Amino acid sequence: MKQAIQILTLVLVAVVIATVWDGFYILREDKQAVITQFGAPVGEPVTTAGLKLKVPFIQRIRYFEKRTLIWDGDPNQIATNDKTFIFMDNTARWRISNALLFLQAVGNEMSAQTLLDDIINGAVRDLVNQNDLIEIIRSSDWDKEYSFARSRDADMIKAPEKGRDKISALVLKQASQNTREYGIELIDVMFKRVNYIQSVREKVYSRMISERKRIAAEKRSRGEGRKAEILGKVERELKEITSEAKRQATEIRGEADAEATRLYGESYSRYADFYFFQKSLESYRNILGQNTSLILSPDSELLHYLESTEDR
Amino acid sequence: MPMNEHSPWGKKKKPGTPEDFLAALIQKIRDAFNEEKNEGPPPQKGEGPDPAHFLAGIGKIALIVLAIICFQIIYSSFYTIEPGEQGVVLRFGKYHRTTEPGLRFKLPYIEEMEKVDVKTVRKEEFGFRTRIPGQNSSFNKDGFDKESLMLTGDKNVIDVAWIVQYTVNDPVRFLFKVRNVRQEVRDNSETVIRRIVGNMDFDYVLGNRAVLAGMAKQELQQDLDKLESGVHLGTLQLLDITPTDAVKPAFNEVNEADQDMKRLVNEAEEYYNKVIPKARGAAKQIVEEAHGYAVQRINNAKGETTRFNAIVAEYLKAKDVTRRRMYLETMQEILPRVKRLYVMDNEEQPVLPFLNLSDDGQTRQTRGSASAETNEYRSPLNNRRIQ
Repeated sequence: MKQAIQILTLVLVAVVIATVWDGFYILREDKQAVITQFGAPVGEPVTTAGLKLKVPFIQRIRYFEKRTLIWDGDPNQIATNDKTFIFMDNTARWRISNALLFLQAVGNEMSAQTLLDDIINGAVRDLVNQNDLIEIIRSSDWDKEYSFARSRDADMIKAPEKGRDKISALVLKQASQNTREYGIELIDVMFKRVNYIQSVREKVYSRMISERKRIAAEKRSRGEGRKAEILGKVERELKEITSEAKRQATEIRGEADAEATRLYGESYSRYADFYFFQKSLESYRNILGQNTSLILSPDSELLHYLESTEDR
Repeated sequence: MPMNEHSPWGKKKKPGTPEDFLAALIQKIRDAFNEEKNEGPPPQKGEGPDPAHFLAGIGKIALIVLAIICFQIIYSSFYTIEPGEQGVVLRFGKYHRTTEPGLRFKLPYIEEMEKVDVKTVRKEEFGFRTRIPGQNSSFNKDGFDKESLMLTGDKNVIDVAWIVQYTVNDPVRFLFKVRNVRQEVRDNSETVIRRIVGNMDFDYVLGNRAVLAGMAKQELQQDLDKLESGVHLGTLQLLDITPTDAVKPAFNEVNEADQDMKRLVNEAEEYYNKVIPKARGAAKQIVEEAHGYAVQRINNAKGETTRFNAIVAEYLKAKDVTRRRMYLETMQEILPRVKRLYVMDNEEQPVLPFLNLSDDGQTRQTRGSASAETNEYRSPLNNRRIQ
């Protein structure tokens, strides 16, 4: 009897030890787990955190990341529909949505990165090849208020048909369809960087330079034009001012002369004879000077009394 | 054994590892069994010294274990959270609570704690790196072309450098939702800036930095929230926005042309301002002079006519006398001045003798009545009779 109790106690203790030793596991908030038994997975993946039970020693726990992960692809040269070669550096957010599938189909994160490289790069390449460059650059919320519409190209002055954001959404959709079977959920695909390849960039620079030169020349000629306009205005106003002034002056003088003449005429014409008499005397005073030789007739009234004392 | 009874707490050298514990336990069990075999199983005794021995042995081990546990409790279950930090406590791996700064307690073994800095402003740089941070930081832009070059809405290339500053505002999310939050912030920043710049024309970007920064900050915060990253954006600050080096000279030329244009216009306007007011002044002067002339002329006329009228008034009172008087006065004034005075009767003389006017510098023949070319005057009184 005692033997039995002792054996039972021993067994109990052994069970307790085993349970304490390998029958619990703690699943952290940021991890999820798949239980494997002799190498084969058992049951559904465990995703809620906490203290969990398992069969000691027989069952093993494989831990997987529960958090959002980043996939960063290498920059790739891709051609757009209008034959422009661009470098794209894309990145995506993903998570392990089904740890069981992930374990079976992928195994670990390194393999997942490679897998995603193929899937996502493929989807990006497909969609970029189908679209023009302007669709990759501009988004669907493009507004012409952000544009000066200087270009004469038709495609530059209207909104893109799809736009960058819609295209990356399409990439996401296409790639997601392929990742589901691997237990991977793609959250988004972002076109992080889009740039020209070297040779295209050179061409774009030339274009930008010549455009700027054109603007510079335009500005200069506008300046010249404005200057000529102002100088012309100066000439015109100058002439206007001086001619107007002269006109006024002449008018004023004329009016004054007319008035003076009127006054004179008014006054003198009443006693015209006397006026002429007086005026002539004045003239003599002024005209007959030091160099004059004067000839008088003896009949002159001045000399009248020289010959006679009688009254005239 | 006696050591245990003195102080079950605070022992330093104890077999604390589970293997040792197990070994001790097994040993005790073996001992218990051996003791039992040696003494032989007395079935009648209900409680013998063996179970008591056994239990005592177990009890002693239990005390040892308890001491170890207590020591570890004291050592590892108190922790401090500095100001500006928060502690995230997991119980059995599951999030349990967030703790504030101060001296805190957590359950040993069962609870796990991670500290998160929630006050430090974290900075990410794009398109450049600060070479020597500090008071006079210098920037290194070389080699960061890949980060800073981007395409504008009119297919041009522009160079943008910017920084993003953020703090953690939800430590739980920060720790457990996204694995690499820093990289998330960087990736999203680049994507957002490039997306918005891609909508704007080159010149628009150069001239509307504030619009770009505002839109980018808002969108970036939305993206980060959607990702449950647990961070809050403090600032998104644009630094240099420039055309690339290859194109810069052409841009400078445009600025220069702009300056030239303004300069030409200014010169012309300066000329205008120099000439026109002066001309206006001169014009005014002409008009004023005319006015002056007018006034003078009219005043003269008025003066003279008044004088004349006054004289006439007097003259009318004694016409003949006045006339003769005036005449004689005038003659008195003139004749003394005259150089030569001839009294000649032109009817009596059939032939006019030669008049030597050579001292005037001219030799002229004169005949008949006075020639109009000489300085001779016929007295008009000769030909007219004054009434």
